[in-house]
Amino acid sequence: MKRTVDVNIPLGPIHPCFKEPVRLKCEAKGERIIGAELELGYMKKGIERIMKGRPWQEVMFLAERVCGICSVIHNMVFIEAMEQISGISVPPRAAYLRVIANELDRMQSHLIANFSYCYTIEHETLGMYLLDLREQVMDELERLTGARVTCAYMIPGGVRCDISREDAEHLLSAVDRMEQDLRRYAGMFSDGPMIALRSRGIGILTQEAAQRAHAVGPTARASGIALDCRLNHPTYRKLGFVPVSRPDCDNFARIMVRFDEVAQSISIIRKCLQDLPTGIIRGGGVCKEGETRYSGEAPRGELTYFIRSDEYGRIADIQIQTPSIMNIEACCHEMIIGVDSVADVTSTFISADPCVACTER
Amino acid sequence: MGQSLIWYLKEFSRLEWIHKFLFAKTAPLVTPSYSRGFPEPTGKACQHALFCMMACPAPGAIEVVHAGDGWIPRIHKGHCIRCGLCVEACPNGVLKSGRILETMERDGTSLLFSFRISIDPDLCTGCGNCATACPVNKQIDAQLGAGGHFSNDEVIMRVLDGDVRVLHEEKCTGCKTCETSCPTRAIQIARILEGIQQPSQGSGP
Repeated sequence: MKRTVDVNIPLGPIHPCFKEPVRLKCEAKGERIIGAELELGYMKKGIERIMKGRPWQEVMFLAERVCGICSVIHNMVFIEAMEQISGISVPPRAAYLRVIANELDRMQSHLIANFSYCYTIEHETLGMYLLDLREQVMDELERLTGARVTCAYMIPGGVRCDISREDAEHLLSAVDRMEQDLRRYAGMFSDGPMIALRSRGIGILTQEAAQRAHAVGPTARASGIALDCRLNHPTYRKLGFVPVSRPDCDNFARIMVRFDEVAQSISIIRKCLQDLPTGIIRGGGVCKEGETRYSGEAPRGELTYFIRSDEYGRIADIQIQTPSIMNIEACCHEMIIGVDSVADVTSTFISADPCVACTER
Repeated sequence: MGQSLIWYLKEFSRLEWIHKFLFAKTAPLVTPSYSRGFPEPTGKACQHALFCMMACPAPGAIEVVHAGDGWIPRIHKGHCIRCGLCVEACPNGVLKSGRILETMERDGTSLLFSFRISIDPDLCTGCGNCATACPVNKQIDAQLGAGGHFSNDEVIMRVLDGDVRVLHEEKCTGCKTCETSCPTRAIQIARILEGIQQPSQGSGP
């Protein structure tokens, strides 16, 4: 079909309001976007190649460095995949501690994603409030694991350190404080008329389109697809996990789904701390030969590791499928089309929470 | 519009906000005691077990060097990723980082090492560099022949009929000298690490 294109607008890879190094070439008619094309490949690390031939204690740290924001889930999925290969069982206390670390990580990831969106729609006040809240989450993560970002908390057969009673109490009170703040900030976002003008009804990703583009994570859940890998995880099942979803399909829904998930993470952490079993945190176990595919729910969606290990537990082959690529594709082929101004292109792109560091690895 | 004004008035008349506005104070930038920093010596004598070097995931971050009469682990800060595995791997508590050492002692956690030698027969040329370079072999048989030919069966590996044979895998200390001396990267040391816990009575929260 012949289309009349007024202008081609290239966005990125280097632009002050474009946070990820991708090039988005938009075809616009007037200011309405009628098509978009994506160029990736500006920051390939080749991390899967570096992982090959190494034992778990080295790959664990490399896996964390696939993504700087959601590092705990990469550690968790890799270690649980190795456990699945080797038939190692995790002590219940360690399984609960893993969930706590993972949920803290999810909270900080969602908060920085929402900060990014607020910053893009020029609501820096709320953005800075969210960053302040994220800082509190990071402090708790540091108290639990010893490091803020690359925590390296999980090892095959357990976790690296236990949580003491004082730390558990500190975490509980911090979580209460965070919940109050979060309620206020989520209220600011949902009630702000200016925010609604920039967010409601913009960047529509219908349920059919989301299914067609294989959108995952909060992007899919904001289009009414209540799909979450945590439903398949035994510890989350024990905690009675129910995924959050919204039917609105727009930028606003995506941000609100993240706010809801942060609140949900807080309640999961609280429940974990209440039900925390006593006992050991390391069961032992040696990694063995095998091949598996294991998925977990990263803050951005389904994260899958395909791993083949040799007889000494070294990684013979590894492939990582990260969630962002699905959402980036869904964003530039479905969400952006029909957006009425170029300013909304960046905010729509950011609302899908793209992470190019994961995507290109 | 009116709604937003009311909202803003409400927001700014909160006691917490007024308190923050009047007594704003940035928290001092201090590293908390529980933060995993660069490993530091605790003062205990290094027994030259080399497990810190074997566990370290960052290339060239730690090496155990001669200092006076004994040995000390030296950290290269530009390479260290502050993971704290060396602290956990050391059987003698020579290093400390954050509160890893205290929690290890409290919970009775430790890392267990074992080393396996794997030789790719397709790549191995039977040159015997590995057997000659191995420091354990040198200790066992000081009369080592060039090309890895030994008359001693107590060594870890030696060249037999043109191929390198591993005789005593259990004697391997995992130093990787053979790996670095192999011209075809045929020999690889698998460092198998296992996290274990033996809680003492009365420990744990």
